[in-house]
Amino acid sequence: MSSNQLTAPSGAAYSETRQHEVRRNQLVMIDGSLATNSETSEGGTSARVWNSGYWGFASVPATDSASAAKVAKKATDNAAVMGRFGEQPKIDMPLDAHVGEYGYNGRPPMSRKEVIELLEALNAHCKKQFPDVKSATFMLQEESHAKRFATSNGSSGLSSINRAAAYLVLTADDKNGNPVQLMQTFSGKGNFADLGLSFDKLIPELAELHRHLQAKRVAVAPRGGKHTVVISPELAGMLAHEAMGHPCEADIVLGGAVTGNLVDQQVASELITMVDFANTYGSQELMIPVYVDDEGTEARDAVLIEKGILKHFMTSRETAAKLGIASTGNARAYTFNDEPLVRMRNTAILPGSRKIEDIISEVDDGYYLMKTGNGQADSTSEFMFGITLAYEIKNGKLGNAITDTTVSGRAIDMLKTVDAVSDDMYWECNGYCGKKQPMIVSLGGPALRARAHLGGQ
Amino acid sequence: MSVDIQALAGETLARMKSAGFDDAQVVLTISEQDELNMAHNEPSLLRSTEDYALSLTGLSGGRKATTRLTELDNDSIAHSITTLFERAQLAPVDEGNAVSEGQQSTFEQGPQEGDLDLLANKVEELLEFRRHNTPRMAIEEGAALHRRVRQQLLTSRGTSLACSVGSYGLTAMGTASEGGKSSSFNGAGGRANDIADKNAADYFGIADMLKETERQIETRPIDGNFVGDVIFAPGAVSDLLGWLIQQLGDGALLANASLYRTKVGEVVTAPILNIHSRFDAPGGAPFSDDGFVTPPLKLIEAGRLNMLLPSLYGSRKTGVAHTPFSSGWTIATGDIDKDAMIADVKRGAIVNRLSMGSPGPSGDFSSVIKNSFLIENGKVGAALAETMIAGNMAQMLRDITAISKQHIDDGTYDFPWIRVPNLHFS
Repeated sequence: MSSNQLTAPSGAAYSETRQHEVRRNQLVMIDGSLATNSETSEGGTSARVWNSGYWGFASVPATDSASAAKVAKKATDNAAVMGRFGEQPKIDMPLDAHVGEYGYNGRPPMSRKEVIELLEALNAHCKKQFPDVKSATFMLQEESHAKRFATSNGSSGLSSINRAAAYLVLTADDKNGNPVQLMQTFSGKGNFADLGLSFDKLIPELAELHRHLQAKRVAVAPRGGKHTVVISPELAGMLAHEAMGHPCEADIVLGGAVTGNLVDQQVASELITMVDFANTYGSQELMIPVYVDDEGTEARDAVLIEKGILKHFMTSRETAAKLGIASTGNARAYTFNDEPLVRMRNTAILPGSRKIEDIISEVDDGYYLMKTGNGQADSTSEFMFGITLAYEIKNGKLGNAITDTTVSGRAIDMLKTVDAVSDDMYWECNGYCGKKQPMIVSLGGPALRARAHLGGQ
Repeated sequence: MSVDIQALAGETLARMKSAGFDDAQVVLTISEQDELNMAHNEPSLLRSTEDYALSLTGLSGGRKATTRLTELDNDSIAHSITTLFERAQLAPVDEGNAVSEGQQSTFEQGPQEGDLDLLANKVEELLEFRRHNTPRMAIEEGAALHRRVRQQLLTSRGTSLACSVGSYGLTAMGTASEGGKSSSFNGAGGRANDIADKNAADYFGIADMLKETERQIETRPIDGNFVGDVIFAPGAVSDLLGWLIQQLGDGALLANASLYRTKVGEVVTAPILNIHSRFDAPGGAPFSDDGFVTPPLKLIEAGRLNMLLPSLYGSRKTGVAHTPFSSGWTIATGDIDKDAMIADVKRGAIVNRLSMGSPGPSGDFSSVIKNSFLIENGKVGAALAETMIAGNMAQMLRDITAISKQHIDDGTYDFPWIRVPNLHFS
């Protein structure tokens, strides 16, 4: 990334310039074949200008000073063009400034040779140890973001985010001869070396994945309807993100989400506290550490739910002004050609005091939901996420695995039914959050017990 | 920065050969977009972007590596080729690796220059339509845009594919609310070569979406579990097709996870289903990512599966015949009116959106049905909340009992309404 001194476009109520580089490294081995062996680099410069209630934005895929001047002019012109739509009501955006450089210092990266040899060893292990497995797929991804920015109100600096993820997928035939798959993911801050990827670390994980796959081959269909469910720590972060995270994004609130009318009201059990952390939990730097957002606002934790009461929303400068609340530093853009939107960072339900074994043992009839593929949110707070691994709970013990299903509910009803929260805390940062642009986020949480709707027969 | 796309792609291919690659593919893509955005029922942002992407695939001794970069200066390209060669040497030898040979085509369609006044007029029309016709509906975000994509794809084996494709796009999404109650998110949009002919709301089903969303402020759950019929609207039909296309492609074939691996030539769906390609749809070009011209396909004819869809790599790895394809599909309309389909349903729902995980290779799925309405005794009733359906994708494709005359063309996909019986509601 160029080190030239960035300046924001002049003459506007607010403006920003950003140089942003994204590097990705991906390897996919399917059944022993290296189907993907890819490295990519996207870099460029963007400018955004606020003028008379409208935004102008422009970007080019270059980081020299001429490009910065070009996008500054184009963004300024674009904001002026928007004036054809007439005067907008004046708003006073919070214009607090922050200066800081936040780099990344991780372990030296694994070499390409080491990574490919690891994939080949894992594939050979699966062939030898799991003869009933039809194929093994391993996908490894590294992604790094470096953003240099300057805003018209005096913010400037550098922010960096690096994450790595590994996906292990085993495929076998079920009892009817149809293919059934199961995936285990690992993710964390930094690169493959920071993730600690090694043959010795992954072999026990593959054995555990294979054990669950055996159960899934003879899975039974779940009963559709409302059930007592124990949500594993691996899923609780998805619940936090989808169920109440999105409805607490200020732009969604301004769009009419039900949360807009619920501040200071009970929306969850007293056992539930939920926070979108900026960068640190306890003394630990989180997987997606945001110290300053893409509008140059210092990132602050946003306490969304405190002991069951809805407290705050996540904001950008503009949405904070429109809602009359503080700016939390949640304005983030995915690549150089994207404008910042209100996005989550590290969203989690905080742990309680129970042991997960005890929480399961108290359930007479229900389900233990262990792994998810993806989720979706809604303005109504109705959420869903796909369940790729779950077991029946009968008389306090785990029973049959169930076939792929979906769990859903209205978060502000479902979270009120939470009657147990474990003392675990599991974080992950694989996958992408989708909202016009993709975004890398992390999710965290403990195990929860609640009533929720399961799809099925 | 002015780029001679043909010359730069050619120079890069020559440099890759000089670097030692046995074979190579170069794809240079230049796109320009003007996007006039709406937020919260107001014009909000004019976004202008220029994007370059140089994608390189290098083969050396049967080993392969790929890269993509956006900065096209001499040093960046030289560095990428050097590191690409180093990475390729570390990959295992794979007999599946190859580049396309002898493909030649030039393709141009759509408006090559955007009209900013037209985009502004369309935004005004859309916001005006909302104000007058659906005031309880908030357009949370939407856009009118023009995009032009120019691409040159070259391989070391004589392939040269070039295109210049312009298109307009319109999108709108949001929620309706009143008295502290909100509907689910809903949205519509698409691409076209021209958007001047009609009011913006009359494209891509946007007006119907805005009106229907206002009817979804008041919702209710179903009364107990039942087995019933679903009429999938075009937006939900895309989920069925998406699962099928995934089952026919590289991922499923290479992982030995396709239900259809041995089914070419067999009837795999209801005989009333016909799925055809439209690879030259607005905004697209009839070229595959791996460098082949994509002639029109009849993927499903009267329920019969005519081909699988492996890439060149997937074909060489699995022995399945290679079928080049790109994006854009049409499901042929049927001969029944949509209202007649609804009138024939005793109990079920009309489903506009499926909210679910990605169904696995078995096809088993359950999904929250969004923006959907109960059907009882042939009449459309209340909008539904907290309702799920469960079934199997492959079985649903076999069980289709009716396909509507009406359809929605979003530019890439042109789908009718489809009726499927015997789904589990909960």
